[in-house]
Amino acid sequence: MKEYALAAGAVAACTAAGFAVHGALTVTDLVMVYLLGTLFVALRGRRGPALFASVAGVLSFDFFFVPPRYTFHVEHPQYVVTFLVMFAVALLISHLAVRVRLQAEAAKRAEVVAETEKLRSSLLSAVSHELRTPLTAIMGSASTLLAQAGDGSRDLLTNIRDEAERLTRLVHNLIETTRLESGAALKKEPHALEEIVASALERTEKILAGRRLEADLPENLPLVPLDPVLMELVFVNLLENAARHAPEGAVDLVARERMDGVEISVADRGPGIKAEDLGRVFEKFYRASAAPGAGLGLAICKAVVEAHGGTIRAEHRPGGGALFILTLPRGAR
Amino acid sequence: MKALVLIVDDEPAIRRFLRPALEENGYAVLEATTGKSALEAAVAKKPDVVLLDLSLPDQDGLDVLKRLREWSSAPVIVVSARGEETDKIAGLDRGADDYLTKPFGVEELLARIRAALRRAENAARDPEPVYEHGDLKIDLTARRVWVGKKEARLSPLQYALLAALVRRAGRVVSQKDLLKELWPDGGSTPEALRILVHQTRHRIEKEPVRPKHLKTEPAVGYRLEAPE
Repeated sequence: MKEYALAAGAVAACTAAGFAVHGALTVTDLVMVYLLGTLFVALRGRRGPALFASVAGVLSFDFFFVPPRYTFHVEHPQYVVTFLVMFAVALLISHLAVRVRLQAEAAKRAEVVAETEKLRSSLLSAVSHELRTPLTAIMGSASTLLAQAGDGSRDLLTNIRDEAERLTRLVHNLIETTRLESGAALKKEPHALEEIVASALERTEKILAGRRLEADLPENLPLVPLDPVLMELVFVNLLENAARHAPEGAVDLVARERMDGVEISVADRGPGIKAEDLGRVFEKFYRASAAPGAGLGLAICKAVVEAHGGTIRAEHRPGGGALFILTLPRGAR
Repeated sequence: MKALVLIVDDEPAIRRFLRPALEENGYAVLEATTGKSALEAAVAKKPDVVLLDLSLPDQDGLDVLKRLREWSSAPVIVVSARGEETDKIAGLDRGADDYLTKPFGVEELLARIRAALRRAENAARDPEPVYEHGDLKIDLTARRVWVGKKEARLSPLQYALLAALVRRAGRVVSQKDLLKELWPDGGSTPEALRILVHQTRHRIEKEPVRPKHLKTEPAVGYRLEAPE
């Protein structure tokens, strides 16, 4: 509404200006004054007010200045042509002006988005650097002391070192979540799953200590297009989850070729997941009934797998335990 | 004579634990906090191994590495807090022997230093014709490979991969370098290399999903464990 008032005001101002210069100029020159008003409105507002200013401009010009004045009656037919040209030019001007303004606004918005993205990624790398350095110092100091420690302090030092390692995994998860959410592209290339699982097993060796892990991956499994760093994180999180919730018993990791890709399941013999939690375990910071953990690990599993065009779900394992099944599509060939 | 380790890191907290950790394990330690002082120390003291952090206050660690490589062949282990694979590859390309990502464990660090020193020592002598690590034995003169008592049947390309890795045993060899070495005329892809590694692993590893010899450095390259 404000924009229409502005348009009306602009036309009124043009009319006043018209009166001021009326004696010095020919009548048709006043058309320029009205077009200037239309341009002003179009640069400020949207299409509606600009159109309104065009129409109001033509009518005011006719009413106030075209002889006979103070009527809408037109004496010479040539003025009809003037009106039409004036109206057409006014429309064209407002169309172009509005478009220019919208483009400028879009460019500005894109710039803001790019700025935010840049800020976010530099913040991320700063935070990750700032966290990694003290964590290295804590882990390093604890393990150096551990090498010389007597039985009395061994437990506590081990505790410091292991928890610093856990914090490290959490930081890693946080960084990758943020990276994914900011829409950074995956570095997807065909990989052998076995290789990815192997590095995940190596990284979780200590957390899985004492548990048997049975990995069953056929040698001729097809290569799957994936981001190796992120998919390794998925397996690390699933194995860590199994280690945490199923304090004993074997963990089974099985991969099978399917029609459209590869299906991998990770299963433990822990207490399993309650029916009401099955759908919710992948929510960020959701923790299934009083279980320890930040609830970020499974959320990032889901985010990563879905970014690969795959699916992940939790089920009851027949015979007891939790079962996670994920599928990864075969690449387009 | 104790081996001399030059630590280049501007973080006091890191230097504070590295010094006792290394001294405890029989190394002499030298510290530098800037790229400039690191290069000066390297010229003056000729360290046996350099631990180089990539984020230094005065210049990029990668540039320090490049300058160092102009005249020194001392093993350099790049330490990075950024954890970006591109950093690791750039470090290897500029002549680093190995890399560690913060946070790293002391055991891991000591293992890398030992491997780097052993390689430097071996490079000065004639290369060992036989590589042995656990149940894996590779005879470079006879071009034969054994796993335990059984001889492994390898294709020429699979053997070439192992031979390339044996020559740099204990080091990460980047995907790019392996492609160049195994397919000097080009015409191959990282995918073909991955398949080759996968197949080779199934010939030489008892449990390919828990490789003892041929390790993957995700998104960077491969490493054959240093001989025992």
